[in-house]
Amino acid sequence: MRAAPLTTLAALALWAVSDALVIGGGRGSVLVLESLAFGIAALVAAAAFRWTWVRPVGLGAVVIAYGAAHVFFLGVQLLPALVFLVVLICHVELRILEGRFAPLFESALASTDLERIQGALGRAILRLAFAAVLAVIVPMLAANLALSGVVPLTTVPTALFLAGALVVVVLAIALLPRMEQKPSERIPGSSPLHKG
Amino acid sequence: MSSGLAALALACLVIGLAIRTWQIVLLALPPIIFLALGSLFPPATPNILGVRSLSRDRVAVSADVDVEVVVRNEGPALDLVEILDVLPRSFIVVRGTNHAVVTMEAGATVPLAYTVRSPIKGDFRLGPLRVRSLDPLALGTEDAIVPLESRLVVAPAMEDLRHVQLQPRHTRPWFGQVPSRRIGVGTDFWAVREYVPGDDVRRMNWKVTARFDRLYSNEYEGERSGDVVIVVDARREAFVGTESDNPVEHGVRAALAIAEHVLASKNRVGLIVQRDVLDWVPPAFGRKQLYRILDHLTHVRPGGEWAFAHVAWVLSRFFPRDCLVVVISPLQDRASLSSLLGLAARGFDLAIVSPSPLAIEWRLGNPRPERVTANRILEMERANLIAQLRRVAQVVDWDPATPLSLALRRMGTWPRPT
Repeated sequence: MRAAPLTTLAALALWAVSDALVIGGGRGSVLVLESLAFGIAALVAAAAFRWTWVRPVGLGAVVIAYGAAHVFFLGVQLLPALVFLVVLICHVELRILEGRFAPLFESALASTDLERIQGALGRAILRLAFAAVLAVIVPMLAANLALSGVVPLTTVPTALFLAGALVVVVLAIALLPRMEQKPSERIPGSSPLHKG
Repeated sequence: MSSGLAALALACLVIGLAIRTWQIVLLALPPIIFLALGSLFPPATPNILGVRSLSRDRVAVSADVDVEVVVRNEGPALDLVEILDVLPRSFIVVRGTNHAVVTMEAGATVPLAYTVRSPIKGDFRLGPLRVRSLDPLALGTEDAIVPLESRLVVAPAMEDLRHVQLQPRHTRPWFGQVPSRRIGVGTDFWAVREYVPGDDVRRMNWKVTARFDRLYSNEYEGERSGDVVIVVDARREAFVGTESDNPVEHGVRAALAIAEHVLASKNRVGLIVQRDVLDWVPPAFGRKQLYRILDHLTHVRPGGEWAFAHVAWVLSRFFPRDCLVVVISPLQDRASLSSLLGLAARGFDLAIVSPSPLAIEWRLGNPRPERVTANRILEMERANLIAQLRRVAQVVDWDPATPLSLALRRMGTWPRPT
């Protein structure tokens, strides 16, 4: 449980480093490598000194280095970029699950408790895997549809409409849980926990 | 997490449109898919009932208490639900867990069984029960607090002082176990006098009667009881060390042991505690008084800045003048010296038990050369203060790592008879 987020993080960092090394010489590649070195150093420091606030900074630096390497030098290939992004999201999800489940497995538990907790963990992992697969397949299908000419994406009004629709969907999805949480629906005595 | 995903999607969208790269625009889709899956199955509002049972509701420090919490889901099925039975900060879970992440069907019950231990005394509340329902991807949460509280009183540990000679010097007219230096009912021979009508035949001294050819009776030293007032210094400045190893905690332990010992010898015991408030228990006899004192001591927490002069005022106003005053203080406040001298001048018998804050601090750190020097200086200052106090009182400089009985026994009869 503890190793899963570390493994995904190491995979992301190695992937970014290998892509950055492909760029070759030049000032741009130095900047990308510097950003990567900074990100990895920040991640190592966060792990060594338990500075949790440094971790997002390090992760951000690694992602920016990967993005910059592909946008400015290597070109964006859809499938690897999608996989990188999904692994990134899975890493954050796994870290959340680790925070919830790992302390439980470290304490001395009865076998029935252990089974119950393992069951919940299994379901959570299964859903994460399903979402990850979907997050790769759906954009690939969309790309295939667009490239085959089914959707006229090349016109400016269509692009603007699609962009606007995406913004609305993103905002609606982000705000939906908060809008649904009305005070009358809460059970008596309930109050927000600390977000952890 | 959901706001982070939304930001990532928007960033991909904006960057993709700005640099006119359709692949980057498509990269906005994975975060949106994660958000959509999370929003399609939002976490249900938990409607939970809970019952908590404790194996005991009153225990001594460091004793184990078994806790069992049964949680029942009265609402819809909860896909991923986190349950936390909130415990006081100082509690240690020695077996099981007070935290679980499980799946709960409607009407399902989940038992949480664990064993806790408290290294410090106090009157604690267990609970409430916090429940957090999560969506399948842990993007959104719904929280609820089940107002389920249980009380657990953790009493300070009782130390055995059976072999310590601790008794008040001045006695009262009530029967007790303290030799009173007066003729009365007792077992120790005091003198011989001529027989007077009404004397018990068993008290006749037949040897003296035979020698002087007149009737003589024995007289015995009366055994009576006295008053002891225990003063516990629990001011903020007395707190040195950790939550479980500090002069206040050790002082409370010593106060309880002394109270139990003195009450068992049929004396009256009173208590004054210097903390946020200055509270006191008037002197009384017996087991009920011990429980009253125990109750007061259980609630002692370091705090407040009452000067010792206030204690002196309470002592002179509400307590008998010729009682034995046992002050339990780390002697951090040098200003209390004059008040203690004043008490002795007013006729109070003084004895001081001082849990050494230096010994506690010394155990907490590494013996670096500068620390050794600083500790030596502080020890000299403390020895100087104790030497001044020894002019009017018997002082026990107690390292709390050693048993109190050992520290008191080294002093012989305590306080020393004049």
